[in-house]
This record gives sequence, C-alpha cells and structure tokens, in this order.
Amino acid sequence: MTPIEQIIFLLKAVPVTLAISLLSFLFGLGLGILLAFMRIFESAPLRYLSDSYEKFFRSVPVLAVMLLLYFGVGPFIPIFKDPFFTSVFSLGIVSGANQSQIFRSAIGSVGRTQMLAAISIGLTRFKALRYVILPQALFLAVPGLGSEIALLIKDSAYSFIIGVIELMKHTDILRASQRSLILPYVSSAIIYVVMTFPVATFLDKWGSRKKKELGL
Amino acid sequence: MNKILECRNLTKIYGKVVAVNNVSIGIGKGETKVIFGPSGSGKSTLLRCLGLLEKPSSGSIYFNGLDVYATRQDLNKLRARIGFVFQDPSLFRHLTALGNIMLGLKHVIGLSESEAWRKAYEALRLVKMEDWANYYPAQLSGGQQQRVGIARAIAMDPEVVLFDEPTAALDVELKWEVIAVMKDLADRGTTMLVATHELRFAKEVADEMIFMDQGQIIEIGSPEHFFTSPNTERAKKFMAKILG
Ligand SMILES: Nc1ncnc2c1ncn2[C@@H]1O[C@H](COP(=O)(O)OP(=O)(O)OP(=O)(O)O)[C@@H](O)[C@H]1O
Ligand SMILES: [Mg+2]
Repeated sequence: MTPIEQIIFLLKAVPVTLAISLLSFLFGLGLGILLAFMRIFESAPLRYLSDSYEKFFRSVPVLAVMLLLYFGVGPFIPIFKDPFFTSVFSLGIVSGANQSQIFRSAIGSVGRTQMLAAISIGLTRFKALRYVILPQALFLAVPGLGSEIALLIKDSAYSFIIGVIELMKHTDILRASQRSLILPYVSSAIIYVVMTFPVATFLDKWGSRKKKELGL
Repeated sequence: MNKILECRNLTKIYGKVVAVNNVSIGIGKGETKVIFGPSGSGKSTLLRCLGLLEKPSSGSIYFNGLDVYATRQDLNKLRARIGFVFQDPSLFRHLTALGNIMLGLKHVIGLSESEAWRKAYEALRLVKMEDWANYYPAQLSGGQQQRVGIARAIAMDPEVVLFDEPTAALDVELKWEVIAVMKDLADRGTTMLVATHELRFAKEVADEMIFMDQGQIIEIGSPEHFFTSPNTERAKKFMAKILG
C-alpha cells in the first residue's frame, strides 16, 4: 500500500471509533446525571450507592472492566459476547462515574440560593433540579465534559483488544502487513489528536464564554 | 380579623444560635407590615420560616387559619401562594427576565406557553420592565433585577408577598425604582410583609411596624408611633441610628 492508501485505510476506521466514543459518552452522561441527582436527594441509601459507585469506578481501569465483561461475563450473558456493545458499555459505566463527579461539582457551584428561589415559587424539588439547577449545571459542566469526550476517544482504543474493528485495530493490521511501523502509528496518533483536541478546546472555550455571559 | 399568614410562638435554632425566639405575628388581607431591626436580629430567618422555605424548630405557622405543619399541608402548593422576594434577587441566571417569570406559571400553575407569556409580560409591565423582557439577569442592573424578582413573585397571584430587604444590596440611586414599585403594589392592596430599613417607605405605606432584636419582637406599633415616641430604649436608639 502507498502511504496515501494506508492513511485512507486508517481513516475508514474513524467512524467506528467515533461511534464508540459518542455512544459511551451519552450513556455516561445519563448515568452521571442520575448519580449526581442521587447524591442530592435526602435518602441516605441512594447517596451511599451513588458515592460507592463513583469511588469504585473512578479507581478501576477501563480495560479491566472490558476484559472482565467480555471474557468473564460474556459466556453467561450473550450480549457481552458482542465486542462493540461490551466496549461501549464498559467505557460508559466508567465514564458515568467521572461525569457524576463533574456534575456534582457543577451543581455545587450553581448555589443554594437558586434552589431556594426555585422552591419559593412552588416548584417541587425535582422540578427545581430539572428546570433551574440542571440547565445551569450543564453550562458549568461543559468544559469538563469536553475533556471527558477526549478521554473516551482515546480510551476507545482499548476496544481493539476485545476485537472491535476500530482505528487501533486498523493500525495494527497495517503494522502486521506493511514494512514501516512509523507511518501507521504516527498517522494514527495524529488522527487521534485531530479528533480530540478541537472538541475539547471548543467546548472549553464555549463553556467559559457562556459562564461569563450568564454570570454563573 | 382573619389572618392570611400567621405564626405563633415561632422559634428557629441553628446549632447554638437562637435566630428567632418565640415570635408571634400575623398579617391580614391587604395589610402592609414592615419588619426592621439590627443585622442578625432574625428578620430573614423569620421570613424564610413564614415563606415555608425553612421549618421552624418549634411553634406553628397558619396559612388561612390552617396549621401548615400539624395538618401536613403540601408545602409546594402553599409556597406557590406565598410570594418571596430575596435580598439578592436570585433570578434564574440561565433564563431571560420573561423566562424567569414564565417558569412558575408553566410548571407550577400549569399555564400553556402563550398564557404564561401573556401573564409574565403583564407582570413585567407592572414593574415597568417590559422593555427588558428578553434580557438575561447578568445584563440588568441590580435594581432592574430586583424589579424582575418582584414580578416573578407577583405573577403567581400570591395571597401574600414576603420581601427580605429587597433594596439593601442596591446603590442609593437604584433603591428608589424598587421602592416605587413596592409602593405601587401596596397601593393596589397587595398583602405585604417587608423587612426593610427604608423608613420613608414604612412611613408612607406601613399599617404596622415590627421592631426585632436578638430574635425577639421588642416593639410593635404604627409608623407614627415609632417616629415620634417608641417605648423601648432599644427601638429609640435604633430609630435614631437609621434616621442618621
Ligand atoms: N442558615 C443558617 N445557619 C446558621 N446560622 C444562621 C443561619 N441563618 C441565620 N443564622 C443566624 O441566625 C441569626 C439571625 O440571622 P438573620 O439572617 O435571620 O438576621 P437578619 O435580621 O436577617 O440580619 P441581616 O439584617 O444581616 O440580614 C444570626 O445570628 C445568623 O448568624
Ligand atoms: Mg437578613
């Protein structure tokens, strides 16, 4: 293959890498918001559950979760025999713990008086969270979420180990079939940078600007 | 006279601090009452308890004669009928002036988008902020924000509105626009309980003034009474201090 052909071959894997990252991000987002909300409500068991979840999954390597689910759970629960699903699921549950922490600190900086004002017009606690606290927390969380997306794009490379045909896998195919090691790895690295850097930078800038505009 | 909102023997304790100590007051339909007293005397705490934003340590609160906590009323429903205006206006920062007012109309009262819009706009007109309907709080001056805060409270058609030092954080020039709005409300017969040190406001509209110190009510009387001959030494001193 010519260098151009090799690069095109690598680029063909980009949609799968992006799909894994995006889906696991969305899964982690839902989970993160849920976990952050559980921390706020009065029920002690919910708070404890959310706290333990966060502590545990922030300390475990994604790769360990992925391998455990694929090799350990897969034989018993068929859905985990699917590498794509297992990688999205593993990245998602770990990201949920990170995103929970991002939201918790964002909700914390929205401030107590906003909650009081929301309650004062008769909103239930849940509606106050939904319509007043969460929208502001989302703005505050955007820069952190940008870093989280970048992290997921990078970590999606682990999926290669359980057999997902994504960017790292295509890089490895080139390594095995072509003479040069440099070209596949360097090109692949550059592609990862091009995917992560603009997203993280854009969201960081946008979030900071919104924060300033709204006086958050 | 039947009171709309009333507390009996209300006490609120934070740790070791007795913020409000055995206070009983009430406010009837159409009345305007002013609470005043030194910093830390418990005005905000008393108002937050009456607004059902905080639970008293002991004592009872009656809304239209109903013991709120003893009869386990739905607090969210009652809060919607008691307006609250905060010292820092506490507008929702992600919403425009109009959006701030529409939120409760839509998600508490259940009005449709267009009904809520009309009602919110109406409230903005009452506080002369209709030209600023689509501005975000961060784009408004302190006085303008406070007027929107008042509009947010009155748009819900509350039976009583509680004000916690609504002008205390404002520059002198900005105070008057807020006070003018509050006078206007009082003249329209709004039932109001106002913590404030604006004695001119009190003199012109208050039916009764309540002087607090160290969590207790020290003296109650008409503005006339406080301006001419307060009974207690503490009230005398405090009046002298704020009249400067
Ligand atoms: N949430 C709280 N936690 C602990 N202590 C509190 C709390 N709120 C008020 N206090 C204490 O209760 C007392 C009364 O405070 P409060 O804010 O009600 O007074 P205030 O009359 O409104 O004063 P100011 O004029 O400064 O607003 C003070 O000693 C205060 O420190
Ligand atoms: Mg106060």
